[in-house]
Amino acid sequence: MPEMVNSKIKTPDEFSEHLMFDPLPRGVMNDMVMESMQTTSWKFWVVAGFMGVIVLVCLFGAWGYLINEGLGVAGVNRPVYWGIFLVNTVFWIGISHAGTFVSALLRVFKAEFRRPFTRAAELMTTFGLVQAGLSIFMHMGRVWLFYFLAPYPNERGLWPNFHSPLSWDFLAITTYLLASTMYLFLPLIPDLAMARDRSKGWRKKLYRTLALGFRGTEGEWTHLRTAMNIFAFAILPVMFSVHTIVSWDFAAAMRPGWSSTIFGPYFVIGALQSGIAAVAMVLVIVRATMKNMKYFIRPEVFDSMGKLMLIISMSWAYFFFNDYLVQWYNGDKFTDILLHFHESGPLGWMWFMMLIFNVAIPWALLWNKKIRRNPTILFTVGLLINIAMYIERYVIVPISLTINRMPFTWRMYKPGVEVWLSLGTLAFFILLYMLASRIVPLVPVWEVQEGQMAHSLRKVGKATVPAVSELE
Amino acid sequence: MDEMKTLLALFEDIDPAADAVEKLRDMGITNEQINIVSGIPVTEPMLGRPHQWTNVPRLALGGALAGFLIGLFLAVVTPLSYPIDVGGQPLIPVPPSIVVIFEMTMLGMLVSTFLGVFLDSQFPSYKPKEYIPEISDGKIAVFFSCPQEEEGSIISALRIIGAKSVEPAEAQQL
Repeated sequence: MPEMVNSKIKTPDEFSEHLMFDPLPRGVMNDMVMESMQTTSWKFWVVAGFMGVIVLVCLFGAWGYLINEGLGVAGVNRPVYWGIFLVNTVFWIGISHAGTFVSALLRVFKAEFRRPFTRAAELMTTFGLVQAGLSIFMHMGRVWLFYFLAPYPNERGLWPNFHSPLSWDFLAITTYLLASTMYLFLPLIPDLAMARDRSKGWRKKLYRTLALGFRGTEGEWTHLRTAMNIFAFAILPVMFSVHTIVSWDFAAAMRPGWSSTIFGPYFVIGALQSGIAAVAMVLVIVRATMKNMKYFIRPEVFDSMGKLMLIISMSWAYFFFNDYLVQWYNGDKFTDILLHFHESGPLGWMWFMMLIFNVAIPWALLWNKKIRRNPTILFTVGLLINIAMYIERYVIVPISLTINRMPFTWRMYKPGVEVWLSLGTLAFFILLYMLASRIVPLVPVWEVQEGQMAHSLRKVGKATVPAVSELE
Repeated sequence: MDEMKTLLALFEDIDPAADAVEKLRDMGITNEQINIVSGIPVTEPMLGRPHQWTNVPRLALGGALAGFLIGLFLAVVTPLSYPIDVGGQPLIPVPPSIVVIFEMTMLGMLVSTFLGVFLDSQFPSYKPKEYIPEISDGKIAVFFSCPQEEEGSIISALRIIGAKSVEPAEAQQL
């Protein structure tokens, strides 16, 4: 049936729905990105102001209250010594994984759909890690003594135990924060130079300073490209190590529900689950609210993100079941009580909600191409996944800590000031991202242009097919 | 000795820029006298240019080694000065030490890679440089030095190839 075969062949015009096959002159793309950064409506400032107030009250205000009154105003107490503080830490580190995954892994595998939104994802890494770090400092209580974590000879004779998972955390999060910030900055330099060439006033001064004198000489590009390749490969094991080490904070303890050899990869895949969903949400918002972004962020991007979300949801389900089954099978009395407590305890609804939002809904919807390409539905699925992943961490931390091997200590956790602090970190993340979107070119224009140069259409027999050239 | 002059030829696309580089070489301009400035990374083979040297990989390796040694110091040497007894573990256990050494090695490598870009590119540098803003609009600029008396013939040749403009290069504040 030749008609049917022919109907599946795309015409050259149909490829124009893909950004890589719909090029615009570089100058036009530059202007579009600059305009998107500099066009700010009053609604933006209303939302930013609202976020600013939440940050002041819920983050700095509540933190000041916590410092003034002591950790007693938080709900953490025996047996739940780690409450929402640690839930937030794990959640935000998870969010931070998306930027590196999208940018580095997709760069390594030359996934072309990444090009317009790598920076939007990388920004999430840096700002997510800021919230994770803040959450740890909040949990310290006497935060002014944070330098006790640092190794230096001192009169107290104290020295960090570098063989403890908590010290590994300090090293891993510091490494990841520095590495991801540098990885954000390096490919940004050419775009800062572009912004410098098109700005006046304070923006000109700012971009001139940040662009470091970049012109785009052969040498500068060579050094930059080499460094970005090293970063893309080297930052991936760091990314995996960070959340694995976070998982060891739990798994290295002989506690029911925590002592699991599979916690490392389970945490990493959980981080990607929430992180990728968060990137999809951010892209929907950026596309809907920022000028000219509909050109750069197209339904093909949502389609690819939806596929990633589906695959990662399946992987998360695999690891979850693997962890669950082994714990269920081992016959330990307290682990058995804990597993029943998860499902049928007073917060059992959370456990079921976690599975429905993390597995049932993504599987039911994301197999469908039309649904994946619908920004509203994709945003909703991303939001539900993030709620589920927050719940997952809540199940792992305070709910699991409720049941231990000493039944006389069992007690339900009732969060106090940490609820406000959680809202504060969320608002701070949104505020930082909003402000960055006014200053940082969110689309790496030079990478988009490079991708458009590499793509072409080729005739193979009677069909027109896309071809990608290796430019490096 | 002939007085040298630095010129800037601007091209819309890679092909004429590559032709211009070839033409300049034919007219006696050496590779060292030519520099290409572009808004996207145009690789050396595309323009028929010699391979660009970069120290970034070596600096990355050096940083990794330094990070490895720092990690080794923290995990293996300092417990001898500040002994901490941890539930039945030896004073210097190998598996936990690997974690510390790994993180410090990666940190050393990535920081030195980042600094390597600064060192090799001589960033930051805010002094006036030969540049025009059209470069970040996707144009390709070929800077070259030539004897003053050959300026006319070279400009004509480059215009024939497709140069949008060929003008004396002037250093300007970026």
